[in-house]
Amino acid sequence: MGTPLLEILLPLPVGAAAVIWLLPSARRKPKIVAGILGVISLFLLGRVTHSSGSIERDVMFDVFAAVALVSGAMMVTDKSPAYSALWFALVTLAVCGLFFLQSAPFLAAASVIVYAGAIIVTFLFVLMLASQSGGSNYDQFPSHGVYATVAAFTLLGIMTCSIHRWSPDTKTDAIPGQLQTKAMVGTANPLSRANDTPTGSLHELGRSLFGDYLYAVELAGTLLLVATIGAIGIAPRRSQGTL
Amino acid sequence: MSPDYERFLVVGAALFALGAIGFLSRRNLILMVLSAEMMLHGVGLSLVTFSRLHQSLEGQAFTVFVLTVAACEAGLALSLILLLYQSKKSLDINVWTEAREADLPPPVEVSGVPSKDEPQVFPKLTPAGLPPDPSRFSSQPTRDINASPKKGGQS
Amino acid sequence: MNLIPNLVANAATPAAEGFLTPEVVLTLIPAAPLLAAAVIAVLGKPLLKERSHLVTVAAFLVSFAMSLVLMFQDLPAVATQTAPDVVTSAIDHDHQLTYGPAVVAPIFQWVDIGNVNVRVDLRADAISAMMLVMVTGVSLLVALFASGYMHGDPGYPRFFGAVSLFVFSMTMLVLAPSFLMLFVFWEAVGLCSYLLIGFWFKKPSAAAAAKKAFVVNRIGDFGFILGIFLIWKNIGSLTFADVLGRPDKLEALATQSPELVTAICLLLFLGAMGKSAQFPLHVWLPDAMEGPTPVSALIHAATMVTAGVYMVARCTPLFVLAPQAQVVVSSIGAITALVAALTALTQYDLKRVMAYSTVSQLGYMFMALGAAGAGKDHATFAVTAAMFHLFTHAYFKALLFLASGSVMHAMGDVIDMRRFSGLKHALPITHWTFLCGAGALAGLPLLAGFWSKDDILAALQTAAEHSPYPQVYKLIFVVAAVTALLTAFYTFRAYFLTFHGPEKFPEEAGHHPHEATPVMAWPLRILAVCALGIGLLVGPLTHWFPDNLAQTPGLPHHEAHGMHFGLMAISAIIALVGVGVAFAVYVKGRSSIDGLPGKFGPLHKLSLNKFYFDEIFTGAIVLPLRGLAKLSFAFDQLLIDPIVDLFGAIPRWFSSIPRVLHNGLVSSYAIVMFTGLLVIVLFALQVLAG
Repeated sequence: MGTPLLEILLPLPVGAAAVIWLLPSARRKPKIVAGILGVISLFLLGRVTHSSGSIERDVMFDVFAAVALVSGAMMVTDKSPAYSALWFALVTLAVCGLFFLQSAPFLAAASVIVYAGAIIVTFLFVLMLASQSGGSNYDQFPSHGVYATVAAFTLLGIMTCSIHRWSPDTKTDAIPGQLQTKAMVGTANPLSRANDTPTGSLHELGRSLFGDYLYAVELAGTLLLVATIGAIGIAPRRSQGTL
Repeated sequence: MSPDYERFLVVGAALFALGAIGFLSRRNLILMVLSAEMMLHGVGLSLVTFSRLHQSLEGQAFTVFVLTVAACEAGLALSLILLLYQSKKSLDINVWTEAREADLPPPVEVSGVPSKDEPQVFPKLTPAGLPPDPSRFSSQPTRDINASPKKGGQS
Repeated sequence: MNLIPNLVANAATPAAEGFLTPEVVLTLIPAAPLLAAAVIAVLGKPLLKERSHLVTVAAFLVSFAMSLVLMFQDLPAVATQTAPDVVTSAIDHDHQLTYGPAVVAPIFQWVDIGNVNVRVDLRADAISAMMLVMVTGVSLLVALFASGYMHGDPGYPRFFGAVSLFVFSMTMLVLAPSFLMLFVFWEAVGLCSYLLIGFWFKKPSAAAAAKKAFVVNRIGDFGFILGIFLIWKNIGSLTFADVLGRPDKLEALATQSPELVTAICLLLFLGAMGKSAQFPLHVWLPDAMEGPTPVSALIHAATMVTAGVYMVARCTPLFVLAPQAQVVVSSIGAITALVAALTALTQYDLKRVMAYSTVSQLGYMFMALGAAGAGKDHATFAVTAAMFHLFTHAYFKALLFLASGSVMHAMGDVIDMRRFSGLKHALPITHWTFLCGAGALAGLPLLAGFWSKDDILAALQTAAEHSPYPQVYKLIFVVAAVTALLTAFYTFRAYFLTFHGPEKFPEEAGHHPHEATPVMAWPLRILAVCALGIGLLVGPLTHWFPDNLAQTPGLPHHEAHGMHFGLMAISAIIALVGVGVAFAVYVKGRSSIDGLPGKFGPLHKLSLNKFYFDEIFTGAIVLPLRGLAKLSFAFDQLLIDPIVDLFGAIPRWFSSIPRVLHNGLVSSYAIVMFTGLLVIVLFALQVLAG
């Protein structure tokens, strides 16, 4: 819209500085500095985003987004892998909240179940199985930390600029916060036939998955099966000793 | 209400970027996989936003598949990691340097000195009920994650 | 007159009405051995093993039968047709394949670029049919013999595969309708010869002999292909029909530039010299005896080495226009015949005696071919004499080689005549069959060699009378007579040394040498019968051979020559004198053999050392070439290699810096990938945003 480019790009170096400060290093650094920087960055970011006009929605978005970003930053910088995994759980929950805000309740539930329920627990198990008894220096010395941060934030800057440049917010015909599917045209599958009766997003998603994407769903199921067999095959046997 | 797609997209991009930082800078195999999962989160968020933007379910359906693939990937990655760990007894990605040019010397350890004075810190849950009798576990291998009581374990 | 053909034709006609059209017959002749070679190549080692000969023998049987059908049924049928267009109508291109009575089978178009039109076709006329019958018949007998001779050899399937391939190549060579195909299969038989000489490739001498044969043949082939180029350049086509079938065109060319025709003929003859082992390119043939004896019998006595003779005979329309070239052909033949016969006098290796004898007899054939220089009226007679000698020689020389092989087999691979003697009681079949072959080779009256040798002498006499160079032909006639004497002498020297005298076996043979097994004995018997009677049967008795060969398109018509009783008497006396001298020296005077070399001194030494040809070749060709090779090697090492290395070093030098990035660390790779992604996204945005 009318926001100057500089204002949009301003939060990024601040955020980058916060992440760099947080990166593990031999020297002890007070985390409060990073905290202040992070808060400034998020504040600057929040200032330039559009509000939806609905105060509840804005508040919810701000909370979820802030939790996601802060947890994400903590996850990639924490010295302890176990803490990282827990931070990741928080990221997942926050993202699920953002899914809810966009009327994707099925995805939100699925994400919580798959990520928080399965993946993170498995990660924690593996961490416990595979962590050394002494301190591991590889968790305390990142490789290319500064360069990685700068590069990633550059990419983020590019993405932000392009999002802003072709801002989807100029679309006015949509009702924000609501997903209203249009009738699918030209599909032969009777399941994907557009239904006149108003149904929820979950119903529609199910119809779409098992109608339009039936083969893809079958393929995905096969993929899961294959991955399961593969994981069982690859994982070390107890008879092979260790672990 | 006015449209607010942009801020969701920005958050998705930011999650992607943070994941990228983690993937690039962390040396722990598990954390690299975890960072990749976070990048997938960013992508998923963007897809859902686009789904809403275009008033179509394609984005959401796609996210379901992303979720599936992520689950497969996590399962396979973890068993591979276990396998790697078994052979080198380390989760450090930098001990695997066999892919280098044959006549190059092995890369120098980026930051050689392990800080022995700062042991790994693990989260500690408040014990509930009676504390277990340590003598009962003395014969077992010591991989007790709460095994540093003298340092206090405060982060 | 035409007794045999009529009988056979009548018998064969009703059976062959069905699917055996001339095309099928013609195609089957080379196809059967090719199929056998393919089958043995694929299944030989894993499946057939010691049964490989069955495939080969069956294929040769088919080829032989088809050759007979071709000769006695299809060709006479074509010859009686007044219009040969009926046969050629099957061919849908401008170039006529045939000129005169011939059977043609179109196969496929090989090259069709602009006005270059090369077809792979089969074409058989009288001379081809004669060669086919000879080649497939001898091959069949030799394959039978070899199935016993090669028994137990680890390379058994390989041997029969190579022999099948050879027969395929040889039949294709004979069936070639153009110079190009002739050349292709000319090389193919050379390849098979190489493979079979070097059959025991672990033996260094065999490997060296194979290489020598191949390299010496290259010299000849160089000339041959230059000749083909000249034909292409001046006549514009390579098919026999276009080149040999247009006498008017050839004559125009000969009157316009006679030296050109002479050059073509001489270059073609150079090819024949290599393949047919003519002086001075004859050095490879004696060494080729390193191969298994059946191979020597088949390839290096009966069939492949006669390809040169066949080619020159085939090109008679060209050669009659170049009398100078004919004199050269005849002279080279005479020199070869004499030198080889003189060398054969003192060799102790039984197979080597036969090899020099082969060279000598090939020289004989070229003498006769050269006698076609007497003029058009006498050309056919001379060519017929040469081809007749080729025909009879194939049988008795194959017989002699197989008998030598039988001796070798019995003596535990010992072939030195000094180490065994008096074998006539131990090896009766071999003895009698060898005697038949030796008699035929020596030219004893009424045997096969007698008639053909007599014809050659007659042809030379005619040439001496009618040629523009009477003195030369008179000299060649004398040489031929002397060679005949020498031939009789050395043949029976070998015979007496081997089969007469005190019975003596080398220790390799064990206590009791074993006579040939039936599978080896029967081919010997059949060939012996041929050696005794075939000359008389197809020559003077029925006149079938000359009459049949006269059907060959391109040979000028002539009136039949009568018998030459005077010449016959001379050659009979010569042969008997040669045999008598050999008898006197090696049977009567056996005790004083050891003193013979001393009496002749340097002459004996010269003959024993093969006139030092190998040494001359080494000095004149091998050493300079080796020096050149060394020079090239040095040039390559000192100049070319460093330049190439430099081009290799430049990218290596440039890459030495980015190579460091390839350090094996996954995170480094990820960083680089991410940076690349960044650059690409930036670039894409730059493009999109304008």
